[in-house]
Amino acid sequence: MNPRSLLLHAYVYAVLVFILLPILVILPMAFSETTYLTFPPQGLTLSWFGDFFTDSRWMASTWFSVKIAVLTAITTAVVGTMATYALVRGANAMGTLFQAFLIGPIVVPHIALAVALYLFFQNAGLSGTTLGYVLAHSVIAMPFTVFTVAAALTSVDPALEDAAMSCGASRFNAFRLVTLPIILPNVISGALFAFIISFDEPVIAFFLAGIRDKTLPRMMFDDIEQNLTPIIPAIAVLLTLLSILVLLAAAVLKHMADRNKGAEGQ
Amino acid sequence: MPQAASPHSKGALIEIRGLGKRFGSVVAVDDVSLTIDAGEFVALLGPSGSGKSTVLMSVAGFERPTAGQILIDGVDCTGLPPNKRNIGMVFQHYTLFPHLSVGDNVAFPLKMRGIGKAERRRQAEQALEVVRLSGYAERMPKQLSGGQQQRVALARAIVYNPRVLLMDEPLSALDKNLREEMQIEIKRLHAELGFTVVFVTHDQGEALTMADRIAILKAGRLQQVSPARSLYERPSNLFAAGFIGEMNILPVTWDGEKATFSNNQDIRLPAEALIEPIRPGAAVLAVRPERLSVAAPGEAGTWKATVRDVVYAGAGSLLITHLDDGSEVRLRMPSAGQANVRSGDTIGIRMPPEAVLLYPSGDAA
Repeated sequence: MNPRSLLLHAYVYAVLVFILLPILVILPMAFSETTYLTFPPQGLTLSWFGDFFTDSRWMASTWFSVKIAVLTAITTAVVGTMATYALVRGANAMGTLFQAFLIGPIVVPHIALAVALYLFFQNAGLSGTTLGYVLAHSVIAMPFTVFTVAAALTSVDPALEDAAMSCGASRFNAFRLVTLPIILPNVISGALFAFIISFDEPVIAFFLAGIRDKTLPRMMFDDIEQNLTPIIPAIAVLLTLLSILVLLAAAVLKHMADRNKGAEGQ
Repeated sequence: MPQAASPHSKGALIEIRGLGKRFGSVVAVDDVSLTIDAGEFVALLGPSGSGKSTVLMSVAGFERPTAGQILIDGVDCTGLPPNKRNIGMVFQHYTLFPHLSVGDNVAFPLKMRGIGKAERRRQAEQALEVVRLSGYAERMPKQLSGGQQQRVALARAIVYNPRVLLMDEPLSALDKNLREEMQIEIKRLHAELGFTVVFVTHDQGEALTMADRIAILKAGRLQQVSPARSLYERPSNLFAAGFIGEMNILPVTWDGEKATFSNNQDIRLPAEALIEPIRPGAAVLAVRPERLSVAAPGEAGTWKATVRDVVYAGAGSLLITHLDDGSEVRLRMPSAGQANVRSGDTIGIRMPPEAVLLYPSGDAA
């Protein structure tokens, strides 16, 4: 290896370490026997994980988060796919404007969105409700679903649906039986991203949380303010594992999607 | 072939009446009327933008005409969606469903018609047999060559015995050899199954070899509808003359009996040379390159020309010559026996009067 490429390797690893360091620090802290956060951890125990899984307050907020994340994933998958179909296939003069609205939340600071939603939802009676969370999280997750689905849809020949219709399929069946199965891996991976975005979303949760139902990130904030026990790194470890699993699933799906696309060549 | 024996496989009568299609201010199809007989094979031929695909897509139901009617077997289909027309269609780029096996692709129209799985499988296998792809049902489309994929598309289009088969430049993506093979294949299927075929192409050779009748379109208007032979031998206007095959086109003066060239040489033409009556004055003489032959220079009744190029192309050769006034004349002839003509030679061109056609000058060229 020559000096230049050695330098390059060193640089790349330095960047990786910098990115991973916070996680590498948090990870061992989850196993500390102390009741406060400390690094390096002292002793070795799994009790914080046990506490998390047995505490009804933590479990309630976890399930609440799961419920919202699942509903958000479904909402963005359905609405996002329909919207993307209109954007990619439709010849609407409003297309550009529509697209800007859909992907806008990526550039709008979440705090601005959260304040706006807070004021609006307060009047609409949606604050702290499941519907309120799902709507808000769908808005911020939508751009990611639209991007993933659009990537697949642009590579599907529109004539395939014409062919299906000439075979006797209705317009909807042509989409359901031909286009949808081809883009399905991307739709699912878009939904997975939406799930993750919703599941660890802190800012909107902070503004919308009611007294009763709190999402997991919101509960963690509360806990940090009051206790700051190693249960926080323990949950962080679990969240990291979940994210890795979802990303792996998305990677597998992308591989499948590429295979489908390859099938279309010629 | 079981399908061939079925009475349902007889073709349908297609009547296109005053068809018009505008896209904003652009007129894509302008008052096209065409009756296609049951079981007939008609090619729509024209340059790109001539409206030929729009006519086909209107018959298929993918385009909604802005004027006129389309009747299939006497039933007005103008407003009917494509999936209600029971028409088989083959598209330019195969359009096989990439996520379905070959067998499932072919069975797709049967599934849409609510036919049971076992029966679907049987009929799909039968259709694959018709296009000579028995045993390919389990493969995926991407595992097949372009020609095989187009055969699958063909099987999918005919599997439910449609009475009409529409094809939108189905062979343009194939290389030359495959294309000729598929032309024969499609002709064979047409003869065996008896459906009505409407075939869009910009390849005149394809239209001439395949179709019973050829409809020539230009700028959205129908120019001529004729069997291949009369289209080639007696094109009804200068556009059709120039569009089908090669044609030498020379300006002349017409006096009612003789056509006079700029060098004052003239040729007496039979009445058949005129497709329609032409007033004396400027006119245009048209003659196919293969109807001309080489004579010794100065021989009586020949035109003096200088050879500019001899293009040898295997069986035939092309001679590019020019007359005294500079106008180009092309001759095509069998290569055998032409070895003695070289670039720069002076020759006589023999032009049989019965091979000549005369058109009014200023006719759309």
